[in-house]
Amino acid sequence: MKRWLALVLLLVMTGGAFGGSPLPGDSVYQFNTGLTDQNGHVWHWADRRGHVQIVSMFYTSCTMVCPMIVDTMKLTTLALDAKDRSRLDLLLVSFDTTRDTTAVLRNYASLRKLPEPQWTLARTDHAGDIRQIAALLGLQYRQLPDGDFNHSSELVLLDADGRIVARTTVIGRVDPEFVQAVDKTLAVH
Amino acid sequence: MSRLIPIMLLAAGLLPANLLAAGAKGVPAPATGKAGAVSTALVPGDLGVPQGEPIHAVLGIPPNVPPPINRNYPAKVIVELEVVEKEMPISEGVTYTYWTFGGTVPGSFIRVRQGDTVEFHLKNAPDNKMPHNIDLHGVTGPGGGAASSFTAPGHESQFTFKALNAGLYVYHCATAPVGMHVANGMYGLILIEPQEGLPKVDHEYYVMQGDFYTTGKYREKGHQPFDMDAAIAEHPTYVLFNGREGSLTGDHALSAKVGETVRLFVGNGGPNLVSSFHVIGEIFDKVYYEGGTHAQENVQTTLIPAGGAMMAEFRVDVPGTYVLVDHSIFRAFNKGALGMLKVDGPENKAIYSGKEVDSVYLGDRAGDNLHAVAVAAKANASGTLSKDEQIKAGQQLFEGTCSVCHQSNGEGMSGVFPPLAKSDYLAKLSKDRLISIPLHGLTGTVTVNGKDYNSVMPPMSQLTDDEVANILTYVLNSWSNAGGQVSKEEVGKVRAQPAAAGDGH
Amino acid sequence: MRGLIFLASMLWSLVAAAADYVPLPGGVFNSVLPADGQAAPARIASFAMRTEPVTNEQFLSFVLAHPAWRKGEVPPVLADGGYLSHWESAVSLGERALPEQPVTRVSWFAARAFCESEGARLPSWYEWEYAAAADAHRTDARTDPAWRERVLAWYGRTSATSLGAVGGDANVYGVRDLHGLVWEWVDDFNALMVSADSRDQNDADKAKFCGAGALAMQQKENYATLMRVAMLSALKASDTTRNLGFRCVRSP
Repeated sequence: MKRWLALVLLLVMTGGAFGGSPLPGDSVYQFNTGLTDQNGHVWHWADRRGHVQIVSMFYTSCTMVCPMIVDTMKLTTLALDAKDRSRLDLLLVSFDTTRDTTAVLRNYASLRKLPEPQWTLARTDHAGDIRQIAALLGLQYRQLPDGDFNHSSELVLLDADGRIVARTTVIGRVDPEFVQAVDKTLAVH
Repeated sequence: MSRLIPIMLLAAGLLPANLLAAGAKGVPAPATGKAGAVSTALVPGDLGVPQGEPIHAVLGIPPNVPPPINRNYPAKVIVELEVVEKEMPISEGVTYTYWTFGGTVPGSFIRVRQGDTVEFHLKNAPDNKMPHNIDLHGVTGPGGGAASSFTAPGHESQFTFKALNAGLYVYHCATAPVGMHVANGMYGLILIEPQEGLPKVDHEYYVMQGDFYTTGKYREKGHQPFDMDAAIAEHPTYVLFNGREGSLTGDHALSAKVGETVRLFVGNGGPNLVSSFHVIGEIFDKVYYEGGTHAQENVQTTLIPAGGAMMAEFRVDVPGTYVLVDHSIFRAFNKGALGMLKVDGPENKAIYSGKEVDSVYLGDRAGDNLHAVAVAAKANASGTLSKDEQIKAGQQLFEGTCSVCHQSNGEGMSGVFPPLAKSDYLAKLSKDRLISIPLHGLTGTVTVNGKDYNSVMPPMSQLTDDEVANILTYVLNSWSNAGGQVSKEEVGKVRAQPAAAGDGH
Repeated sequence: MRGLIFLASMLWSLVAAAADYVPLPGGVFNSVLPADGQAAPARIASFAMRTEPVTNEQFLSFVLAHPAWRKGEVPPVLADGGYLSHWESAVSLGERALPEQPVTRVSWFAARAFCESEGARLPSWYEWEYAAAADAHRTDARTDPAWRERVLAWYGRTSATSLGAVGGDANVYGVRDLHGLVWEWVDDFNALMVSADSRDQNDADKAKFCGAGALAMQQKENYATLMRVAMLSALKASDTTRNLGFRCVRSP
């Protein structure tokens, strides 16, 4: 998987990916920045092109809603046909540039049993890039004086070209309309 | 209270309409059969899935309402309402920046049928400065649609609700600061007709009261900004029907014919005051108080809470002018809460003798026919005002404002109110001094035609410059006075000066 | 060493020639949005702020140097269809956009890119609110009815008249036009998690916003500032509106 990612990265950088089909104007990959995953691999936000994925934002020390965000992503995957599950990627981007180091993310993934390659937990040192990704996804957050974050809790479904096709604020259980949207997006992928 | 249940600033509120639309594309609409299956457990008022083609709602521009619905099935009704921020007159010569639903205060009248599914589109004009939303009191659901309709300038929001409860409901903007959005005119009415419809009447009219807060005084000329402190203190400068002084008087009066039936849909946008709504000379046959289902009969004055409404039905039997007031009566005569219903037709002396006892009560704005005043105002605006037009307009204004004391024939009341007819006192006055009397009043002893008068005439500060000019021109050219003409500009000049010290002589 | 300082000041003056920035001291500030969502004041580090909003002329220089930000080039996800729509063309202003008017109809992404291009960033809401609390003589004039009335007067005028030029009266820091001219983007506009239904008080649905729930707005009589929050919270990052511009700040 990682090798494949690296290949895509190379292709994107050389402009050869996807046979040169232009990126849609409403794609969140119109913005690009470097991110690091739970294994310390560096990749780019726009490298996710080609994947249907559910994206959300979180931070690992969050004890209130974030664990439920992770659970809801799991439940949504389980609600799909077994043959489709592996084709859906799951991406969590951390708000916490200070405390969520690569090691912390790796530990969290193993503790919460978030298997690779389906799950990617991402971080960056640049708070400005996080603000930009949140803006693209239509998510809100603010840091509190004690270092915690106050943030909106939503799952966002991106198609392979990075267009937002559906979103849900239903957290803690499966949103059937959102699952239908995932099904439909995978079907045309 | 259910409307105060919290809604968070989430998907529907914050997300762009195009994202929502994209989201909706990914989610197939529920199949009719499926929705039908769910509908086995209909909540009261739910008449099932919408039938027929979607209907685009016709909106009513105040004081008019859309026609009755006359439909016997629940439909999907599409309502499109645009928020417009615009400057309009609030009184003669006074402008105010209104925030409106549909370009008018009150906003467009919405009419649907109980059981209808309403697809609501709120558009915020691109040139507007403020974000806006709408809370419809006729919506069952948190916030009445407020969070789902939070819309930035140049955007459109959509949400759908089912009209479960019949009745007459207020809608208003609920964006922070709510009080200011409401004070600027962001309210209107939505009628949810009962399934069987409303009893047929000959006329239906739409009236809404609101209180306004300006930094300048009542009728102070020019553009008047919103006064936040006055709004918080609940001290309105204006209390108005349909957002503007004179919106329902003179040529804009409501009308009916003898023997006809009238239904008034009356709301109160507030933001602060409760209305004691009354029509002078009429008794409401029925009042659906608080806009609900039950009617009280034979009502004189009915209370309309801020953020509330009522429907009144009555038959008009006697011709004449019926004056709509907030019977908290200083609001009617000193803050503008006046409207008129003019009834034409043959006299019915058996019911009413015809003596117009209300004439004293009506004050300056409520004369029987201010046609000449309107002509003069128009001519004045176009710069073609003639002396004759001034005299005609002045006569009517004199009847309304001055004749109570000075009498219609200008003879006054011996020893109490000095005469204006053949007045040697008037003949001696300089023009500026003459103008200053209606503007600033007159206190102290004056001698007129050989008699002393010691009385107090209050300043007629509610009169505009052209009204004063017309009245004085009328007086100078009546009852064997010496003649002459006073212009609006001359009055303006005197108004700008402080009142002369030591009135009287 | 001396040479280095000389070089640094040379560089600084080069940047400063493009736009004036004035220093503002840091401080503790009672925002309408408490830092912890309840009552805590905001702590603001010292920073430098552009004395005036970015003008059409300045933004034109920016797009000339950065073609990706010309209208027609910017993808819709980064700026909606109204982006610079009052400009005559992608590379000229025309009659409806005077050089000294503040630039409006710019998205948050575009405003951010501009600030980056002059070695700056968008202000945080707290920085903006803190600077805008001042009048000509005081750093915090917010309780003065005259201050509020002046700010509110702008909301009371429609957009019917065209925008004025930048260069209004300076406040005590030397910053101009924070009120009375345009709305301004802030970097954390999507951190103003107030409820879309402003009548909700503190009874927040905790599950919707992880952490402290929706923010409770303070100083409810301070309509002048609350309206800024309402406006900013209504926006998404690609939005452009006729009255929305921006200015930049720098951290020392």
